[in-house]
Amino acid sequence: MSWSLRLPFLSLSFSSRAVAVGFGLLLLVTLGTVLALRLGSYTFTETSWLSVLLGAGSEIEKMILLDHRLPRILTALGAGACFGLSGAMFQTMMRNPLASPDVIGFNAGASCGALMAIILTGGNVLLGALVGALFTAILVVGLAWKNGLQPQRLVLIGLGIGFALAALSDLLLSRTDARTAADMAEWLIGTLNARDWQDVRVVWSGLLLLAPAIFWIHFPLARLGLSDDLSSSLGLRLSPLRLGLTGLGILLAALAVCTAGPLPFVAFAAGPIARALVLNGRPALLGAAVIGALLVLAADTASRMVPSVQLPAGVFTALIGGPVMIWLLMVQFRKGKL
Amino acid sequence: MNAPARLHAKALSVAFAKTPILKDLSADIPDGKITVIVGPNACGKSTFLRSLARLQKPDSGEVLLDGKSIHKQANRSVAQRLAILPQSPSAPEGLTVRDLVTRGRTPHQSALRQWSHQDAEAVGRALELTGMAPNANRPLEALSGGQRQRAWIAMALAQDTKILLLDEPTTYLDLPHQIELLSLIQSLNQQNNQTVAMVLHDINLAARFADHIIALRAGAIFTTGSPTEVVTRNNMEQVFELRCQIISDPVHGTPHVIPE
Repeated sequence: MSWSLRLPFLSLSFSSRAVAVGFGLLLLVTLGTVLALRLGSYTFTETSWLSVLLGAGSEIEKMILLDHRLPRILTALGAGACFGLSGAMFQTMMRNPLASPDVIGFNAGASCGALMAIILTGGNVLLGALVGALFTAILVVGLAWKNGLQPQRLVLIGLGIGFALAALSDLLLSRTDARTAADMAEWLIGTLNARDWQDVRVVWSGLLLLAPAIFWIHFPLARLGLSDDLSSSLGLRLSPLRLGLTGLGILLAALAVCTAGPLPFVAFAAGPIARALVLNGRPALLGAAVIGALLVLAADTASRMVPSVQLPAGVFTALIGGPVMIWLLMVQFRKGKL
Repeated sequence: MNAPARLHAKALSVAFAKTPILKDLSADIPDGKITVIVGPNACGKSTFLRSLARLQKPDSGEVLLDGKSIHKQANRSVAQRLAILPQSPSAPEGLTVRDLVTRGRTPHQSALRQWSHQDAEAVGRALELTGMAPNANRPLEALSGGQRQRAWIAMALAQDTKILLLDEPTTYLDLPHQIELLSLIQSLNQQNNQTVAMVLHDINLAARFADHIIALRAGAIFTTGSPTEVVTRNNMEQVFELRCQIISDPVHGTPHVIPE
């Protein structure tokens, strides 16, 4: 079954399964957000969180909910959506689920750049992350280029560069004083600890600015899932399209990394989970964004639920993403793609 | 002298890693006809077809579509006039037949106009013509080889082009399915007056379905013409190094090769 939408300026078609999955996911995000608002070292009752949101409650309750939890949750959702989108774009473009920015070193590059910006210049984290991710992308793609871009080469070279960049980050940490290094180490695993409204503004205004480009690129990206020859014979211009997708994917990854740290496996797992749910062979960008947001929200809420040890959220996304990676590797092996 | 064909190859040369594949090859793809490109393995058939479809950039020479170099025209505009189905195409998992056929509409669509009435019509027509309407909502991987190939042809049909190029469309099909598919292509050619050019391995099928045959040997044209002109004892020996007798197909009257 499929539905058609026809307006004078816009016409689209959806499969009913994709629409159902979309509504289900939106419901999950709403429920998850409410739960995340209520739960934590201070627990709100079933109704009190709402009255605090609406302006009632004590000063402390207001501070907890409005100054700490809400910005943290919104940052988690935004960063997760960025990771999910970025991952799904690279995976669809390369037709390989392993080609996500956290596997092929782009996230490591972004965090390395951010670290350098903080330690060496004390400067802008976003700019550092962007430059780092961009530089890594040029390096990885440049090294992997051999009569075109081959996914396997890209994944292997990206893995290698990722490890090298992680080592560089460690080196940077060892050159700083112990206190900064401890903070940075936590950030490098990925954490949403102490996020404020500034982070919310950065990640959501970035997403909003990029939204038209994402909507526009979804159309050719869906066709790119066919082979190069086919997408080219359907009239797509492959090189400019790939360039645009790479740029957009890097922007999104850098945006996520500079607000939530290089949370592992979110970009990697969101796309395949969304595609498995929708199962219509489309890139499922929106689904990947929502799943990414859910993953980060769940990981961050879990990390707040065990306050005594203060595990960073990255530990939890790794716990979720690890099994997904094993599942995908097994599927790839079975298909003989590895 | 007829008007020049819409699709024309002019002195094409292509080399891979300095090994020449096509050498100074010029040919017309006659309008409204079925042209079949034949030749022994590694003679450059596929490279020739891919060059015609602008998927392979020639080292020298050019392909003219409507009188202009195909590589100098907007890719999208070319895609509105010329469709190619490459050899063993692949699609992402879970893609349904209808979604695949819809993708054939890409050169007529945009991000804002993804599902116009014309799109719906063209997709419906392509599904009808190929007999794939009953399977429209099934995922591609659930189909048999013959059905899958029909689905791909339906995608190329939905593209709604005057010229259709097919690279070995009968690969992996058994004989009944080969005949079925080629008959479908023949009826499309006759009903829509679509120009078809395809690579086929089987010289007897080529002789039966082609209006015009281009025989390649070692990256150059050996001879061209109607099946009766091309499929002769002498030509078969020189192109394929095959000693054979030629008889007239008792059903269709086309030349039929009996290897000795």
